[in-house]
Amino acid sequence: MDSLLSFSSVSKVYGDGGPGAVRALDDVTVAVPRGGFTAVMGPSGSGKSTFMNVAAGLDDVTAGEVHVAGHPLHRLDDRARTLLRREQVGFVFQSFNLVPTLDVRENVLLPFELAGRRLRTDEHAWVEHLLEVLGLGDRVAHRPGELSGGQQQRVAIARALAPRPAVVLADEPTGNLDTRSSREVLGLLRTAAREYGQTIVMVSHDPVAASYADRVLVLADGRLVGDHDAMTPQQIAELLIGFEVGAA
Amino acid sequence: MTTRSALVLGARRELGTVGLVAAMCGFYAGVLLVASETLRVNSESVGDVSAIGLVLGVVASVFIAVAVYVSAVVIVNGVDTVIAGRLKQIALLRLLGADARSLRGAVVRGTTGVAAAGGTAGVLAGVLTGDVTRAALVAADRLPDGGYALLPVLALPAAAVVTLAAAGAAWVGSRAVLRATPAQALSGASVPAPDSPRAGRLRRWLTVALIGSGALVLAGAAVLGESGNAIGFLAAALGAMLSGTGLLVGARLVVPRLVSLVSRLLGTDPPSKVAARNAVRDPGRTTRSTMGLVIGVTLVTTFAAGFAALRVAAASWDQTAAQAAQTDDILRHTSTIMICLVVVSSAIAAVGFVSTMSLGVIQRTREIGLLRALGFTSGQVRTMITKESVALSATAVGFGMGLGLAYGALGAQSLVGFQNDGFVWGLPGPVLAGIAVAGVLLVLAASWVPSSRAVAVTPVEALRSST
Ligand SMILES: Nc1ncnc2c1ncn2[C@@H]1O[C@H](COP(=O)(O)OP(=O)(O)OP(=O)(O)O)[C@@H](O)[C@H]1O
Ligand SMILES: [Mg+2]
Repeated sequence: MDSLLSFSSVSKVYGDGGPGAVRALDDVTVAVPRGGFTAVMGPSGSGKSTFMNVAAGLDDVTAGEVHVAGHPLHRLDDRARTLLRREQVGFVFQSFNLVPTLDVRENVLLPFELAGRRLRTDEHAWVEHLLEVLGLGDRVAHRPGELSGGQQQRVAIARALAPRPAVVLADEPTGNLDTRSSREVLGLLRTAAREYGQTIVMVSHDPVAASYADRVLVLADGRLVGDHDAMTPQQIAELLIGFEVGAA
Repeated sequence: MTTRSALVLGARRELGTVGLVAAMCGFYAGVLLVASETLRVNSESVGDVSAIGLVLGVVASVFIAVAVYVSAVVIVNGVDTVIAGRLKQIALLRLLGADARSLRGAVVRGTTGVAAAGGTAGVLAGVLTGDVTRAALVAADRLPDGGYALLPVLALPAAAVVTLAAAGAAWVGSRAVLRATPAQALSGASVPAPDSPRAGRLRRWLTVALIGSGALVLAGAAVLGESGNAIGFLAAALGAMLSGTGLLVGARLVVPRLVSLVSRLLGTDPPSKVAARNAVRDPGRTTRSTMGLVIGVTLVTTFAAGFAALRVAAASWDQTAAQAAQTDDILRHTSTIMICLVVVSSAIAAVGFVSTMSLGVIQRTREIGLLRALGFTSGQVRTMITKESVALSATAVGFGMGLGLAYGALGAQSLVGFQNDGFVWGLPGPVLAGIAVAGVLLVLAASWVPSSRAVAVTPVEALRSST
């Protein structure tokens, strides 16, 4: 199976290597296959957001190689990376996701506009479907400032899924959602992965959310310390407790 | 108190524009006062005592008042922009128990202090420059050695006026402090509050009344000019003042729409689209940063167009070739002097424009990081910022030129219309070209630096920034 996203011996160090330096990623090697739904877990500060930023080419690596959809990200310049991101990556940030001056629909359609193409009929239907499933149908003309935190997050999810990018990277996409809408979003992500072969990498602290994934990676202190197949929420919770006890 | 003001306004650096604008305005006042003092003493020594001193004083005061007004508009905008970028912090202070009125008071005191220092330094520097120039001219025997006062009587009052205007401007510009509710600290976006319906209606009514009556008076002036009535020119001045005030009052209703029309011409790709939205993001701020430039461009164009019309008219008068050449010379020189006198207000407005644009971009660092993360290239970010600046300044320049051409021609018509067939008008080609070039330079100055800064950091750093 070809891997869509691969890290080989990737390290990311913040600071100049002196005593204040932080090793946010430490020699991480992992490959995410096409069509997989992967959860990334780990304690706060363990390097999950850094992992996602590096995977999206938003940040440089200090050492190692990152490949996305066959392109060597670590060797591309800013412009090439931007174009790659535009065409292959959908991103949901931990916070602040939407362009404040654009309304909901404009935010969701921004990736198409950036690619300079009109929506095909099936894409149009897909976008409408996303807005509907995410409960945004009657808010399409609103600006982000008029939405709740959870609604903003759902708009970001719609935007990431809309153009069917090679990979969707979602940093705690359910962090601001109540249990019900959280389940709906996770169901949507799983459907996208299973039925449309959408590759998804999702950061989460929530064992229930991670149980929707078919693979669970665990980071601790920047290292990849766990790589598991689909698990039940109970198994994941026990796994995490194990790490916390181990770390303490 | 100083610490309070620092909490609200942040580094004094952000008030740098206020100090600079106050200093420019003060410098201009200082130079003008020395010049009018010099002219007054000389006209007295010639024996032509009469009202010349008074007239010169009035003329100088009018020009200074215009510069002070433009400075005040710029300062309102400067303070408002700084506060807009700090609404969250202010809201947080309110959440922690700070009282809005005392926060606003701190802003006004901080701004006034900076303006007082800048204004006074500017006036003194202007007076000194004037004195030195005059001494040099006297030494070179180009001016008689009269008993000139080194410090014109009005110099210190001028500094006081600049300071007071700044205090008033800071008061107006800091309105937003009162609107910062503690809840905003917890939520996000700051949406500018629209006019209350009542204030909106009053504004509309006043605008229509002022512009309507001004237009009538201007039309009357043109007719009076045709019959050679001396009242004509006064009527034209009155009409221009009435309609100009109407435009200033009503600008808020029209300018954002004009800007958004102009920005729609710039394209429909994402950078243009976001630029168009940003240009009218805060209608009040859009209006003020545009109107400062409009006033400047209108003044320059009015004088240029007025004198161009007079020269066209004079060329057809019944005079000898020598007389005609002399008339044209006088008109040309007076025109240059007048334009130099009003161009300073444009420069002040331009400084304000550049500063508002840059601050606005800095405040959007995070948003720009997001756009880049979503696939805006550095080039597209630059394009976006440049187009926003083009939309604003093109509107200002176009509006100001149109207005100035009309005022200038009407003024000339009201003055000499009876000596010529038909309506008197002229097109000051070189000045219009100069304004256009200045407009392009302004766009570059206002967008190059902030956009370079915006793309210098990685998207992640930008997204992590707190502003
Ligand atoms: N710009 C930076 N400069 C210095 N250190 C940084 C920077 N960004 C992140 N770090 C550090 O890198 C480590 C990993 O951060 P990261 O944001 O990836 O954690 P995380 O796993 O996403 O945490 P959370 O679950 O709280 O979001 C942390 O120790 C953090 O303090
Ligand atoms: Mg994180």
